Amino acid sequence: MDMSYQEKSTLGSLLAMLVVYAYYFANAFRHLGQSQFDGGTLGRLIFTVIAIIVIEIVYHIALAIRSKPEPKDERDILIECKAYRTAYFAMFSGMSLVIAWLIVAGVASVAAPGRISVAPFLMVNIILLVLVLTELLHFAAQLFYYRRGLR
Amino acid sequence: MNKGRITNNIRRLRFNSSEMTQQELAEKVGVTRQTVIAIEGDKYSPSLEVAFRIAHAFGVPLEGVFQYESSDP
Repeated sequence: MDMSYQEKSTLGSLLAMLVVYAYYFANAFRHLGQSQFDGGTLGRLIFTVIAIIVIEIVYHIALAIRSKPEPKDERDILIECKAYRTAYFAMFSGMSLVIAWLIVAGVASVAAPGRISVAPFLMVNIILLVLVLTELLHFAAQLFYYRRGLR
Repeated sequence: MNKGRITNNIRRLRFNSSEMTQQELAEKVGVTRQTVIAIEGDKYSPSLEVAFRIAHAFGVPLEGVFQYESSDP
């Protein structure tokens, strides 16, 4: 498949994020019972962020060696803008659902104190999941527009 | 609003310009080769500036490269 430098860069970022955060959330959702971050879960979150940065740097160095880096042209910028628009609507929707869930859970915790509560660990991971899904959608939308075209 | 269709003669113009490659045209115009491929395949309509640069690269007027086909009956 004939791909531009920008397209390969986007594909690499998508795969890196997908693999690393799949590992993170597979572990995080096994610890949903806990209310706060402890050493293990916080360490895993920090490791995930560092792993993404390291993988991105190594991948882009390898990509630059294999294919000549090209600056973004007007088509790349337009595709990026369209993908950001798609991702923005997804993030807005996702965050609206999270806010609605927090309000409902807050009201429910007043009605049934001690039985229903929103744990910070769960809240942080739900928000992080929305942000990660939005970013994955942003990369996927870019790849879609690169393949389909902009007409 | 009826959307028209923009077609182009870039492939023929490249052939007539000593078989200019897509990479050579991309370098003259200042875009990537994939963008030239997308324009040639009618998958992307370039900005007016890039359209003029393409026409300039072939030494022809803009309408010698791009044609607008209206969808109006």
